[in-house]
Amino acid sequence: MTSLVSDSWERRALLGLFVLVVLAPAFGWASGVVGYAEPLDNAAAETGASDAADPINPGLLPDYSVPGLSPSLGTFVSAIVGTTLTLAVAVGGGRLLER
Amino acid sequence: MTRQIRMHVPDGFLDPWVAGLFWLGSGVAIGIAVRRARDELGDERTPLLGVVAAGIFAAQMLNWPIPGGTSAHFVGGAFAGMLLGPSLGVLAMTAVVTIQALVFGDGGIIALGGNLFAMAVVDVLVGYALFRALRGVHETGAVFVAGWGAITAAALVVGVGVGLSSAFSYELSVTVPIMVVGHALLGLVEGAITAAVYGYVANARPDLVLGRVDDSLSPEVRL
Repeated sequence: MTSLVSDSWERRALLGLFVLVVLAPAFGWASGVVGYAEPLDNAAAETGASDAADPINPGLLPDYSVPGLSPSLGTFVSAIVGTTLTLAVAVGGGRLLER
Repeated sequence: MTRQIRMHVPDGFLDPWVAGLFWLGSGVAIGIAVRRARDELGDERTPLLGVVAAGIFAAQMLNWPIPGGTSAHFVGGAFAGMLLGPSLGVLAMTAVVTIQALVFGDGGIIALGGNLFAMAVVDVLVGYALFRALRGVHETGAVFVAGWGAITAAALVVGVGVGLSSAFSYELSVTVPIMVVGHALLGLVEGAITAAVYGYVANARPDLVLGRVDDSLSPEVRL
């Protein structure tokens, strides 16, 4: 694998990001199978707060889904969009802050 | 069935004064990080900031299923702090948590200050501090403890925040144990993943591990 990416850590890192993006739908499916719950959900259920959640902003891609697309495809698209956007915002913000 | 669920504090969970305090705390910490980051960015560090932030975003989407009805996902604040140092670590996590809230509705807008304080400030700085304190004893062990301890500390902060809020009936004695014990267990996965990825990077490109090269970066003193 190292011969593929030569000495550029950036290329290797981008390859790693792509692998994570491809894995996202599989993990999303698996977490649904086991009935995903986080401690915060449990604390909310325990204290009667579950219904208090009142989203102001559902987001363009609510819950990492794309309206109209299957859940797996929606997760995949969300992973690509989110990862690319985060890379762009962090690098862009970093460049603006330099010096 | 595929289900991707919200991972962060939504709007409606925090009382306004609690949310306001979280905004204040995260605003001060991020402001300091921005100021200090100006001297640190450039060369390879800016792309590294981007890659670490993007990698944490992608990794947070991977929910590791644990039979019995729970699941753990990597949060990554401690990892960011150790790899990038505290200032850039805070900025990387700020980008991740903000994009999750604005684009994906994962975490509220009023609650964003709380999510930033837990994941972009406490998780990063506690992880970095634990790493710096323990790496002289055993580096891999220090990374594991940092990943585990920092996520547990972040969970404590969220547990206190919601426990002081009316939606949770001010039941601090319920919210704190659930959050801390739950994340202390899930944090074992966080610590293991953090140690594995850190070990890989530290082996392949030790020069990219900024958290251990500059002893002058000590967030707990400055903050």
